[in-house]
Amino acid sequence: MKQFLLKIWSHCVRLTARWPSIASIAPFIPVVAAWWIVTELQLFPRVFLPGPAEVVRSFGSLVYMGILPAYLQDSIVRLAVGAFWGVALGIPLGILVGLNQRARTALWPLLLFFQAIGDIAWLPILVIWFGYGLTTITVVIVYTVIFPVVLNTVLGVRSIPITLHRAAQSLGASRIRMLWEVVLPGALPNIVTGLRNGLGYGWRALIATEIIVGTSGIGFLMFDARRSGSVVEILLGMIILGILWYIVDSWILAPIERATGQRWGLVTR
Amino acid sequence: MKDLTIRNLSKTYFDPYAGTNVTAVHDVSLKVEQGEFVCIVGPSGCGKTTILNMIAGFIPHTGGEILVGGRPVKGPGPDRGVVFQSFALFPWRTVLENVAFGPKMRGVRKVERERIAHEYLALAKLTEAAGRYPAELSGGMQQRVGVVRALANEPDVLLMDEPFASVDAQTRMTLQEELTRIWQEKRPTVIFITHDVQEAVFLANRVVALSKGRVLDDIAVDLPRPRSWDALNDDARFKELSGRVLQLVRSA
Repeated sequence: MKQFLLKIWSHCVRLTARWPSIASIAPFIPVVAAWWIVTELQLFPRVFLPGPAEVVRSFGSLVYMGILPAYLQDSIVRLAVGAFWGVALGIPLGILVGLNQRARTALWPLLLFFQAIGDIAWLPILVIWFGYGLTTITVVIVYTVIFPVVLNTVLGVRSIPITLHRAAQSLGASRIRMLWEVVLPGALPNIVTGLRNGLGYGWRALIATEIIVGTSGIGFLMFDARRSGSVVEILLGMIILGILWYIVDSWILAPIERATGQRWGLVTR
Repeated sequence: MKDLTIRNLSKTYFDPYAGTNVTAVHDVSLKVEQGEFVCIVGPSGCGKTTILNMIAGFIPHTGGEILVGGRPVKGPGPDRGVVFQSFALFPWRTVLENVAFGPKMRGVRKVERERIAHEYLALAKLTEAAGRYPAELSGGMQQRVGVVRALANEPDVLLMDEPFASVDAQTRMTLQEELTRIWQEKRPTVIFITHDVQEAVFLANRVVALSKGRVLDDIAVDLPRPRSWDALNDDARFKELSGRVLQLVRSA
């Protein structure tokens, strides 16, 4: 028996070594299996908890009808636009606050105050100001992304050793070049962390916003499904959220982290 | 390379916790000729790093003047290269890019500044390490990069702030010998800060002993070059000079 288990284990190790993607799928197998068993045992009524097969079928039909690709695109574009502006405004603001004592004194309390209000808390007033539309959604995403980016950029800028500033200055770097040569790369690992947090929060805020003000998107799909009592589509929406985030993290964020902080020895293990 | 003149330099700052003025550097005057290697030696807290930081322009001085080639120092600048105790290499730049940094800031074209960097890397026997990142090197190698990075920018004065204090004893001896060799080849004007009396005597043309922010004495070192630890370890003149400097520093 023990020999047999060891054999299976060694097979698994060799398999995942050859195809690393299996390693990232494998942890989900028991989860899906458990889900499948629970639904097959009919512990809950099918209407309340459909099985994996039904969700896959629903995925197929929604893709076939073109609803899912269109909604997916809407959600991703909204997140991308929001993230872009969040980063484009957040990094310069973070560098300003991180480098300038006066800016820090003036802005830091404000940053903490507005961070605490939170994205969703703005929705009621935003809906009154901008109505049920893209502007409201974008503002919420930008608002959500910008704080983690700013706060982490400030942290990154302030954690650069003063000797690096001094070294660059005594090698003839001007103030402007210091930004590009020292401040930005020095803060980059923290900026990526901020971006990761910001996108994660932004993604959640987007779904919440779509549920409340949306006319399309994954959040809207789920909320719409609730109205028609289609638990299958709600589950499908939840699964898509998870998969999408997994893709963003492992295909975009993790490679950036590997290429920057880890190679430079700023991040260890 | 140009000479350096320090006249009646002093540094006083207000300590808000004690509520009093503290004088870290007291009326220090020093003249370093072009191509001279001067070591400033003294115990920790004697003000030697403060003096170096003022010469580098990292902190303002509160009295006297600092002249490099006749021009007063106002803030940091490429005419004064600095080698730091903590190496201060840019972690996101390769060894080659670190050494080419100064020329790059001067606007030297990429091909030319890489040629310069390679030349200086060869001087410190670092050719193999050109494409690596600082984090991938040992401490001794990192500081070799630190030294040639400062030299590659051809500063008028090279300021070294206890550069070998954070490497192991064997590596330190090798680095000291290499530094004397490089100095003989390029003849930069060097101000070298250390608390290690033997290091100071080994490296310098002249040792300035410092205590409590004041210059105690100025001792010429007439040992022949090239210098090596093998030759100097049992050298009577080296022992005599080291003994004198040590006595000075300890007696104060």
